[in-house]
Amino acid sequence: MPKLQRLLYINAESTHPQSAALSAAIYEPVEGSITQVDPTSEGLPYESVQAAMIDGWRVIQAPDVWAGIGSDDAGEVIGFQFILEKIEDFG
Amino acid sequence: MTTANVATDHRLTDDEMAAFIIRGYHILQPELRTGLNDEIYAALDGMDTNPGDAVLEEVPQLNEVWQSPEMVGVLTSLLGPEYEMFPHRHCHRNSPGTPSQLIHQDNLNDLRIEGGQVRQPDRIDLILAMYYPQNVTSDMGPTLILPGTHVLRALPERMASQGNFRDQVIATVDAGSVVILHYDIWHAGTANTSDTVRYMLKFLFQRTTNPSVPTWNHDPANDAAIRNRLESENPMSMQRGLAGKQRHFRTRMWNRLAGDQALDLSYHDKWSGGSWN
Repeated sequence: MPKLQRLLYINAESTHPQSAALSAAIYEPVEGSITQVDPTSEGLPYESVQAAMIDGWRVIQAPDVWAGIGSDDAGEVIGFQFILEKIEDFG
Repeated sequence: MTTANVATDHRLTDDEMAAFIIRGYHILQPELRTGLNDEIYAALDGMDTNPGDAVLEEVPQLNEVWQSPEMVGVLTSLLGPEYEMFPHRHCHRNSPGTPSQLIHQDNLNDLRIEGGQVRQPDRIDLILAMYYPQNVTSDMGPTLILPGTHVLRALPERMASQGNFRDQVIATVDAGSVVILHYDIWHAGTANTSDTVRYMLKFLFQRTTNPSVPTWNHDPANDAAIRNRLESENPMSMQRGLAGKQRHFRTRMWNRLAGDQALDLSYHDKWSGGSWN
């Protein structure tokens, strides 16, 4: 059974891993898998980056501290983005 | 007190107007004649091709929605009594299997919005009105709204990986509902995983005169409470810097619309006499 990488993107209220998650998306290493906004979703999978870490996700990218600032010219992004991974058996 | 000389029955109250300025949307359920929604749905479903801007000529019953007293009252409140229907409109047919759109602002790459005005985060010059002739459940591709984002500028490609937002609003509505949006709000059509075609008629309405007096049902006795709402409510969680920017533009937007009855925004001590918490 191959070990493959699952990705979890969490945009948090600040660069602090315990700050509240504002958005989240999970990307599966499965052919044809689609990740998109889901109108039937009932909330986010984790309340914070820390909560995801407790569940076994490993942070592989911390947010750029300037990323969530935005400007009138450049536009705005809501939240500071952490990327996490889990390596799991798929087959 | 001066107010615009228009029928008052269906104009927004101060609280409803503040809610629109804070959230960037208002959901309306006009009283429509029995059978109208079904007639419109059947007419749309019978079309072989997209009628484009001609949808109003092809389905003239749509005028009954846009001319309903409730619709006129809300548009008068937001755009003034001399508002106009914009010539561009679009019928969105969301068939089973349609995926979600990226969350976006309409016409983002053109700094000048469709009416020719420059985007300004403290103005309401253009309104998106989305009419749904059938019930829309969560699996039928309802419109997703990020409340309060109408005063911000979106970067759809940078946001593409973000997925669901904690405070996203999913507009599941009854047939005949109209979702009225500030033109600049961040939104998306979502996936239709049902076996039913979902129609949404998008029409645009634009302001033609600059505001000089409130055109909603305004009572200056509400000013202190309105200022408190505009300066404190958070319809969607986000980083503090952006939340502060939202609050700044809300009070500017209210005052621009209120004209000669603008809020007094001079300093006041909001902590004195309050609880320690």
